[in-house]
Amino acid sequence: MSDAENSPPTEPIDSPSQGGPEPGSDFEPVSVFGDSETTMDLRPGADNCYKCSVCDTSCPVAEVDDDFPGPKFQGPEQWRLKRKEGSEIDDSIMSCSNCMRCDDACPSSVPLSQMHNTARGEYVDEQMDKLSVEYVRNRILANYRTSAWFASKVPRLANAVMSFGPTRWVMEKAMGVTSEREFPAFATQTFREWWRKRGGADASRRNAREARERRGDPADADKKIAYFHGCYSNYNTPEVGKALVHVFESFGYEIVAPEQRCSGTPMFANGMLADAERAAEVNVSSFADLVEEGYDAVASCTSCSMALKQEYPELFDIDGIDDVAENTFEALEYLRIQEDLEGAIADASVEEQAFAYHAPCHARNQGLDRQALELFRELDGVAMEDVGDSCSGISGTYGWKEEKYENSMKIGEDMFEHMHDAAGDVGMTECPTCAMQMEHGTGYEIKHPLQLLEEALC
Amino acid sequence: MSKTPSALVLGGGSTGCGIARDLAMRGVDVTLVEKGNLTHGTTGRMHGLLHSGGRYAVSDQKSATECIEENRVLRRIASHCVEMTGGLFVQRPEDDDEYFEEKLQGCRECGIPAEALSAEEAREMEPYLAEDIERAIRVPDGAVDPFRLCVANAADAIEHGARVETHAEVTDVLVEDGEVVGVEVEHASDGGSADGLDSFVHGEPGTTEELYADYVVNATGAWAGQIGEMADVEVAVRPSKGVMTIMNVRQVDTVINRCRPKGDADIVVPHETTCILGTTDEEVEDPEDYPEEGWEVDLMIDTLSELVPMLSEARTIRSFWGVRPLYEPPEVGSEDPTDITRDFFLLDHDERDGLPGMASIVGGKLTTYRMMAEDIADHVCERLGVDAECRTAEEPLPGSEDFSVLRDWMDEFGLRSPVGLRSAERLGSRIDEVLGEWDGPNPTVCECEAVTRAEIQDAISQSGTELNAVRIRTRASMGNCQGAFCCHRMANELVPEYDEPTARDALDDLYQERWKGERHALWGEQLSQAMLKHHLHATTMNRDGDPAATGEEIDFGAFDAGESEGELSDTSGGDRSGDAVADGGRRTRTDETEGDADGDS
Repeated sequence: MSDAENSPPTEPIDSPSQGGPEPGSDFEPVSVFGDSETTMDLRPGADNCYKCSVCDTSCPVAEVDDDFPGPKFQGPEQWRLKRKEGSEIDDSIMSCSNCMRCDDACPSSVPLSQMHNTARGEYVDEQMDKLSVEYVRNRILANYRTSAWFASKVPRLANAVMSFGPTRWVMEKAMGVTSEREFPAFATQTFREWWRKRGGADASRRNAREARERRGDPADADKKIAYFHGCYSNYNTPEVGKALVHVFESFGYEIVAPEQRCSGTPMFANGMLADAERAAEVNVSSFADLVEEGYDAVASCTSCSMALKQEYPELFDIDGIDDVAENTFEALEYLRIQEDLEGAIADASVEEQAFAYHAPCHARNQGLDRQALELFRELDGVAMEDVGDSCSGISGTYGWKEEKYENSMKIGEDMFEHMHDAAGDVGMTECPTCAMQMEHGTGYEIKHPLQLLEEALC
Repeated sequence: MSKTPSALVLGGGSTGCGIARDLAMRGVDVTLVEKGNLTHGTTGRMHGLLHSGGRYAVSDQKSATECIEENRVLRRIASHCVEMTGGLFVQRPEDDDEYFEEKLQGCRECGIPAEALSAEEAREMEPYLAEDIERAIRVPDGAVDPFRLCVANAADAIEHGARVETHAEVTDVLVEDGEVVGVEVEHASDGGSADGLDSFVHGEPGTTEELYADYVVNATGAWAGQIGEMADVEVAVRPSKGVMTIMNVRQVDTVINRCRPKGDADIVVPHETTCILGTTDEEVEDPEDYPEEGWEVDLMIDTLSELVPMLSEARTIRSFWGVRPLYEPPEVGSEDPTDITRDFFLLDHDERDGLPGMASIVGGKLTTYRMMAEDIADHVCERLGVDAECRTAEEPLPGSEDFSVLRDWMDEFGLRSPVGLRSAERLGSRIDEVLGEWDGPNPTVCECEAVTRAEIQDAISQSGTELNAVRIRTRASMGNCQGAFCCHRMANELVPEYDEPTARDALDDLYQERWKGERHALWGEQLSQAMLKHHLHATTMNRDGDPAATGEEIDFGAFDAGESEGELSDTSGGDRSGDAVADGGRRTRTDETEGDADGDS
């Protein structure tokens, strides 16, 4: 397998490549307003909107921020009013956290998040001062992988520096990164380091064959996945990646961990579409080849799977992008489709434990918000409690911004309260930044469903 | 009596308002009367094309030359009513090559800047054009807002001392000693019964008034024949109807014409936030009573989809019909209305019928309204002995004075960017007066078209309680929800200046007017929209049976106590639920039998 541990690209944003994206619907937006893809014409998408305002009522930011006009304005209304000349994107687009709950709420298939993503991209591209603190800060936050890559070279030092009060004070004053939050610790060994040391794909093939033999599956069973671990499982929580490897191998899956960059999620949310496209090009090209060889792409982070499934084909035109999108799954989703996971769980048991489970908004958009609850209900020893359908409030990099921190915590209040009310004092969620917020708001330890699955099955 | 020569202009369309402005600027004492609100007749029912003249460059070069001249004038004097979109004449494979060459040649002969484009170049300009088009000619077509144009003319006429009376229908032409001396009007008793200081309605509702003037100009377009009858002269206008369909969004940002000699459904005009598809041409008897048929709309969408394929699936928000005031000298006798000239005619009833004191103006088109107005104003001035130059081609209309839309409206007036931009485009140079001087909260009243309270209040101050007049000034309620979310907010803006029954009547009028066009678009998304609108208004404002409107007693006891015990015991629960049908209505005999037959289909 190719190695993704080389330095991430940090070249400046320049002219993005040309060409139109192909969304899932039969409508294909084209470039009407200019020649960059940040200005795709989404006006026809406004045809679907009959202004019912359900999107506004489901928007967590609008709920806590009276100055935020809401997704209906940001999406169909703003697009319908757009002109070839003179139109500017309203700066309130930067207050959208990209939770994408409006997509899920809309009864009429308005391409809301696509509209928001493109409008935000245009705003950042054309209206934002590239020398402003906000832009630089957002660019750094959006390119978390770059910082994480450096930090992972000297994880102990990085952790010490990032938890050092004066550093954080300076970061807040000079960069607008809130000092309220504790910086996530960098693992002393990244997932990929572990994976390589363990023997990479070859070791995985051996393990999978053994498991097949044990399970009575045919030795040449067509069970192979390409793991999209994303940045967080690699640099911060390699235990999640390891859990995925162990669980999938125990079901007889051969795993590869191809070269990959950031999924693009934080870049979409910050309007850095050119950065996101560069990352997407690497990811699509490495996964498209594997998909053609019969691999399915599996992610352990619901925002990563969301990006590959939905945002890539909505925003970019890259060879093989649709094949990758169609063959990308979240880890639990994949096992529930392919294997008798419930049967395996029903036969297993773990030590008595109780979890406060929060479904990430991006899991909700993929219809996965109930999967952990439904699955672990059958697991002996486990009590799972849903902490409600609110947004955690952090939305990736959003809650890290000094000016957004307060709203982020207001949005999370419901979730914190329900977590406290729930029986367990361990939280569970699929999303790494929701996990940060859950931990920040309650002090609980937070686990990924794959970790519990590992405990039960491996 | 005043010594100032006076003129009476009948008809508040673009021609009438243009004549009123022109005469007022020349110092004539002008009164304009209109039976509805301004633009009520044909002006408010056109596709908003500012002709480059390209359309007439082969068939009628005189009109074509006039068009390009006036096109340039309007860009100058009415910049806030005009959007210079540019236009394309697009040739499809089945369209005649020779005609394309004639068109190009004709444009050049008439002084219309015209450039031949390859299919690729045309599709680069307008990516949604059909892939199989042959080529195109680029001309300086544009879009003009007829409402704004008309209102600006009327406002400037008032500025120059004119009196403008809307909702004043002419009921008789007064003839004394074989000469027209004035008209009798009836002031409407409902709608627009405003008494605001700047209102266009001054007469006491429900009364008649005799208005006298030295000269009367009949500028009632398709209605000119009816006015003629009142004076016993024949004005043989041949009203011809055409349908226009409004799309929800702009599929094109350039005027798209089909490059072929003539035919129905051959133009798409980007208009404000929408596109307007036009049109058909069919002679009708009565300009106010003609059938509006579904097939006409279908024909337009189908035919224009050949040029812009995505139109076939796109959402339409309403359709409306307009009546052209076509006229040709009786001796021509064209069979087909499309053969009748688009030129205008000034009929001096003194010369023609031996009836001095009145002239009629018929034919013509919006793009040349100013030129027509100048012609007739010259004629009137000559009759009145007024010696004054026409200045309407030089002096900008109110709103179009030295103005750039590109300022930072968001910072200046606390508006969101697109709201500020749209307000600036509509208000033009009046924006400082309307938004800059507004004090207090300024929420967006109409979200679809981005109209704020300050703009609504400005319109109310001009036109009184008639919300349709507010609508044409601001575009409020003209967006995709067709007033679902703003009709009532607009009515609310009338309070407390006007009382509750007045606001309620105004709301009813606006709601009905919106429905008139919306009912022609009831499929797909707009059907969902219409149902949501109905339910919102029915359930929150009891529009399906408002007791405040019907005056009927309500049996409140029936709500509190429900049905009596006896009734409930008569029917078992199971039977009752069987009475309900899926749409919430009651099952009827027919439903039952049809339901059985349909089975699980």
